[in-house]
Amino acid sequence: MTLTLTRRAFTAAAILTCTAFGAHAEGFTPENPECIAPANPGGGWDFTCRQVGKSLQDQGLIPSTMQVVNLAGGGGGVAFAEVVNKRSDSNDLIVAASSATATRLAQGAYPGNSMDQVRWLAAIGADYGVIAVAADSELNSLPDLLDQIKADPKSVSVAGGSAVGGWDHLKVLIATNAYGIEDVRSVKYIAFDGGGEAVTQLLAGSVQAFTGDLSETKGFVDSGDVKILAVLSPERLPGEFADIPTAKEQGVEAIGANWRGFYAPGNMSDAAYDYWVNDIATLYASDEWKEIMTANGLAPLDLQGDAFQSFVGDSVAQIQAISREIGIIK
Amino acid sequence: METLASLGDGFFIAITWQNLLLAFMGCFLGTIMGALPGLGPSNGVAILIPLAFTLGLGATPALILLTSVYYGAMYGGRISSILLNIPGDEPAMMTCLDGYPMAKAGRAGEALALSGIASFFGSFFATWGLVLLAPQLVKVALWFGPAEYFALFTLAFATLGGISSTNQAKSAFAAALGLGLAMVGIDTQTGVPRFTFGEVHLYDGIDFLVAIVGLFALSEVFVFLEHGNLKRDSAAPKMKIGKIVPSLSLVKSCIPTMFRTTGLGFIAGVLPGAGASLGSFISYSMEKRLVDKEGTFGTGDPRGVAAPEAGNNAAAGGALVPMLALGVPGSGTTAVLLAVLLALNITPGPLLFTQNPDVVWGLIAALFIANFMLLAMNIPMVGLFTRVLLVPPRILMPVVAMVSFVGIYGISGSSFDLLVMIAFGVLGWVLRKLDVPLVPIILGTLLGNAMESNLRRAITIDNGNWGTLIDSPLSILLWSIAAIGFILPIIFGKMMKRRMRMARDEEGAIQD
Amino acid sequence: MSDRIFGGVGVILALIFAWQATVIEESFLSDAVGPKAFPLIIAAVLGLSSLYFLLKPDAEPTWPTFGRVAEIGLAVAVMVAYAIMLPELGFVIATALAATYLTWRLGTAPVQSIIVGVLTSVGIYVVFHLILGLSLAKGPFGF
Repeated sequence: MTLTLTRRAFTAAAILTCTAFGAHAEGFTPENPECIAPANPGGGWDFTCRQVGKSLQDQGLIPSTMQVVNLAGGGGGVAFAEVVNKRSDSNDLIVAASSATATRLAQGAYPGNSMDQVRWLAAIGADYGVIAVAADSELNSLPDLLDQIKADPKSVSVAGGSAVGGWDHLKVLIATNAYGIEDVRSVKYIAFDGGGEAVTQLLAGSVQAFTGDLSETKGFVDSGDVKILAVLSPERLPGEFADIPTAKEQGVEAIGANWRGFYAPGNMSDAAYDYWVNDIATLYASDEWKEIMTANGLAPLDLQGDAFQSFVGDSVAQIQAISREIGIIK
Repeated sequence: METLASLGDGFFIAITWQNLLLAFMGCFLGTIMGALPGLGPSNGVAILIPLAFTLGLGATPALILLTSVYYGAMYGGRISSILLNIPGDEPAMMTCLDGYPMAKAGRAGEALALSGIASFFGSFFATWGLVLLAPQLVKVALWFGPAEYFALFTLAFATLGGISSTNQAKSAFAAALGLGLAMVGIDTQTGVPRFTFGEVHLYDGIDFLVAIVGLFALSEVFVFLEHGNLKRDSAAPKMKIGKIVPSLSLVKSCIPTMFRTTGLGFIAGVLPGAGASLGSFISYSMEKRLVDKEGTFGTGDPRGVAAPEAGNNAAAGGALVPMLALGVPGSGTTAVLLAVLLALNITPGPLLFTQNPDVVWGLIAALFIANFMLLAMNIPMVGLFTRVLLVPPRILMPVVAMVSFVGIYGISGSSFDLLVMIAFGVLGWVLRKLDVPLVPIILGTLLGNAMESNLRRAITIDNGNWGTLIDSPLSILLWSIAAIGFILPIIFGKMMKRRMRMARDEEGAIQD
Repeated sequence: MSDRIFGGVGVILALIFAWQATVIEESFLSDAVGPKAFPLIIAAVLGLSSLYFLLKPDAEPTWPTFGRVAEIGLAVAVMVAYAIMLPELGFVIATALAATYLTWRLGTAPVQSIIVGVLTSVGIYVVFHLILGLSLAKGPFGF
């Protein structure tokens, strides 16, 4: 019963899309569009694949259903190696990626792989970093917190959802570094399994500060449990986030965005590359996608093709510089 | 009263033909996936997400489908535990201990029906707990800092002594082996690889699903191969199915057990990071400590079937508390459900109950519906399930092996995982021969990382002071339970026995 | 005797584990406990418990004859081959072959084994791939 239901839905969708399709197809259309999520079902990369796949199909931008393949392992390293070694000339394939991918590439955590072995397609949004404290904390601004860390680093435990040297940790280090704290290694960072657990420990009073992404903090700000000291965006965010001060306006030159996007195999043909870049760009510009972005707390990050390629290059270089400075890599 | 009115509204939302159909489909598919080794509640839910999206379901119907799958899988796990001695998913591991001996004794039907009732009992009361206590219970989660979690996990390992009555050293060995396996992979705290030997596939660590399917399912296949040609010699005695409906007195005798373990499991579920496996594990070991005077647990005691099933289903309900009220997943499955909520444009968190009451109460009503549906589905289906025992092992075992392979491969897409699973199968067979219990290995791989991380967090937060581990009343309490309830009896139990023996000898000497 | 050998293997395993723990390369940034302490505690428990049954072994288990062990060894070899060939052969063919072998070795007549093997494979394919939508290995023929 399930079988016929899904099959029928697929066929119906396929017939519908065929008419809408062809508006921008320039010689290339994927036969079996496929998206690799380099993690088990349910994680962030999995959702990037599934949500984009669904939206592309809904809007008739791909001819058939996007097949999502989960290829977990090595924090994305297994999928990266697979794409580089075995699938490097596939034209139907895109792979979900995020800042975490860039961080691991920068720190050499995918042994023997580098970012130029694949073609970077486009971003679909960004989640800006925040530094927050519990609502009843005496600290009211980012400099308050950083002053305390400067005076007595042992008195402040900062909780985040990534491992030491991971993206959540790097955000605090970027901020402390920008504030002129010389030995960033003295900053006490406690790694938790995900932002949710870290916020819970902030509320439980086990730790004094929290570093994470805006989307995962939003609910706790609305409920009045958590106070955001600064958002690490270049300028204030639009809409309901307009009240949150940036780090920059408090005199701390720190910017950190957790972007989400895709890469494609290194030997993908130019026609296919252009096809996918156009596709994701069209999706990004649509109102439906804007709604999804707002709902998920994603901020705009409008980068495709070459612009995205150089953006990833820059962020890899930046992460490499910080990591070297604090001694995570040699 | 207000709560009940909201719940009424919830039922109003949930009871439509479409939703009832979805709940039925979810319960059915969930039960099947729970029973298949390798597919558990978290994978089950994840696998059906695309279906929910393809059908274009709204938020409430999609949640009804997926939570029915969740509850269904929690029910289903017990089926293969009882019939095949292979846990369908990790929380059902403890059900093997008494369920399979019951089946071997020709009481498979009773065991299945009783465990179905216990599952219903656990999840029914846990859902009420969710309705009435969710906001207050969130505070319980906030009592637990890293030091308290470490004490809780230590308590879980301390109770191991009570589980297997055989050689304690072998339990300890198995637990240490499991913990050691959990250490493989990137260190979650500092990001350095450990015990990976440069193998990228090991960077994410060893998936406990791979371990559990290898240790239990594949080793079972090897045991059958060891006994050789099953057609000619009738080495495996024909299994009897027995009664399908348990007697009322049997159910009654298990009710106190179900009550206690429902409470315990529910609390374990509420704590993020503890989850259903810990719930069923602690339920079983505490209950054994409490009521097992004659030492019948582990040999087919019905209470040993009721305890873990009530415990793990209560934990499944409990795990929804931190997910809905804090946005923190308490288990793998709730992590997937959380992702679904986010994809449906609903942000779980402190304000969910006020911002999206229709979703929350619709969901809770759906849980009640799914629960009754599962009970209604599971009791009559006992007869059907037990038919599995009529399939000769020479055909059933290869099917089990292949399903195990596909369950693992379909999720991770990795041949490497299959090789690791085969290695676990061989290891499981050897350890069974040597009478080493397998449950502690799984417990170790499940809890190892969380245990270590919380130890390190606690000590780092307190700037390297190990005294922080016994710094709060709650952690002192947990350590005391571990010491007085479980560790001391092992040491003093032996001493007492020896002294009693000596006393008797002396008496004997005088009499002479 | 088996327990003594097992205990010896356990002690050696604990020593290797402890040694591997000490060679973990620590990063500059570390927490107060570090990545080595917990593995070392585990190694200690592993070693001590192994010593215990090395010194006080349980009763000897009944080991199968050499022929039966070879049977298990062959089954393991087939499973390993299955795991490696799966991506090359495709799911349905590889599974049918492996299931046929296991069914045959467990005492089913050859022809019946082939039927059971093929049915198992196709059945799993239908349930897991077509209904549940899991991505299984695609072979040269697309299934």
